[in-house]
Amino acid sequence: MKIQEEQFARLVREHKNTIYTVCYMFSQDEEEVNDLFQETLINMWKGIDGFREESKISTWIYRVALNTCLLQERKKKKEVKTVPLSMDINFFEDNDANSSQVRQLHERIGKLGLVDRAIVMMWLEDMSYDEIGAVMGISAQNVGVKLFRIKEQLKKIHNS
Amino acid sequence: MEEMNFEELRNQYAILKEQLNNQEIVNESLIRKSIEMRGKDISYTKKVVYGSALFCLIIYPLTYFTHMWSLAFAIVTCLIMMFCVIATYRIHKPVENLNLMQDDLATVARVMAKFKKQYDNWLHYATPALLIPWGIWACYEVGWSHAPEGSNPWLLIIPLLTGGAIGGLVGYKYHRKAVNAAQDIIHDIEKN
Repeated sequence: MKIQEEQFARLVREHKNTIYTVCYMFSQDEEEVNDLFQETLINMWKGIDGFREESKISTWIYRVALNTCLLQERKKKKEVKTVPLSMDINFFEDNDANSSQVRQLHERIGKLGLVDRAIVMMWLEDMSYDEIGAVMGISAQNVGVKLFRIKEQLKKIHNS
Repeated sequence: MEEMNFEELRNQYAILKEQLNNQEIVNESLIRKSIEMRGKDISYTKKVVYGSALFCLIIYPLTYFTHMWSLAFAIVTCLIMMFCVIATYRIHKPVENLNLMQDDLATVARVMAKFKKQYDNWLHYATPALLIPWGIWACYEVGWSHAPEGSNPWLLIIPLLTGGAIGGLVGYKYHRKAVNAAQDIIHDIEKN
């Protein structure tokens, strides 16, 4: 591998959990996670030269992953032969206690709209309001308002 | 109880992260494949645009030698097709732009809204303004001006109109598909 490719591979390994989490929350099965994960990596590699360090790399990765999931949702086509992820677990099908908890999280967040889902994921990731705003293109204050509404919605979902 | 809800969400998220920490997830071939894809990725729109441009500039002019229409009509048709190809490319370009994948969601919504508006304007204004005069001229050329002597003009025009109608329906179908996709994205982003 060339130096740039090695740096990219290192970047992917450092942020694999974040990329997986975004793809998982926007998918209905493991195959879809695989497709979105690979599509995200392709888009990251395409855009890595344009990354100007105006924002944190984690914010940039979040943007790419979210946009990929959002736009790919509409394409629903498989142009790429997906290479399977190296995973021993399948959160969609495994029945152990941890997978059940993760599945419950997926179901709850999955009831939100796509944008609300993205915001609540970043909130759970402990990203600051400024960082969330940078991903969404809204002000930190607006993030606070939206999060308040989302929490109210989650309460309703929980109580219903 | 309600606060517990968020605490529970946080715990579940922590479990997800912990589980993922124990997984390799990415492997060498996955990264290699993703890197290789950049060179191969030519979008569908670009393929259509390049194909159409090739048709307009090389294949279509040859039809002049069939003597079905005048040189002026052939040149104007070629110019109209090139104009349509360039306009389609320009409308699609911001959406195809790689930066779209790295922009914030508000920017994505703005780009999609502009794309939808331009596409709608194209359908409502540019298409009739170009196609109606061109269609009338085409009928005149095929049915009267360059028709074989003694032939019934309507027998020549009906296939032309049928072909035009089928082409129009196919074009409209693709138009709706593109506009609906853009509308869905805008709706998803802005409804919140």
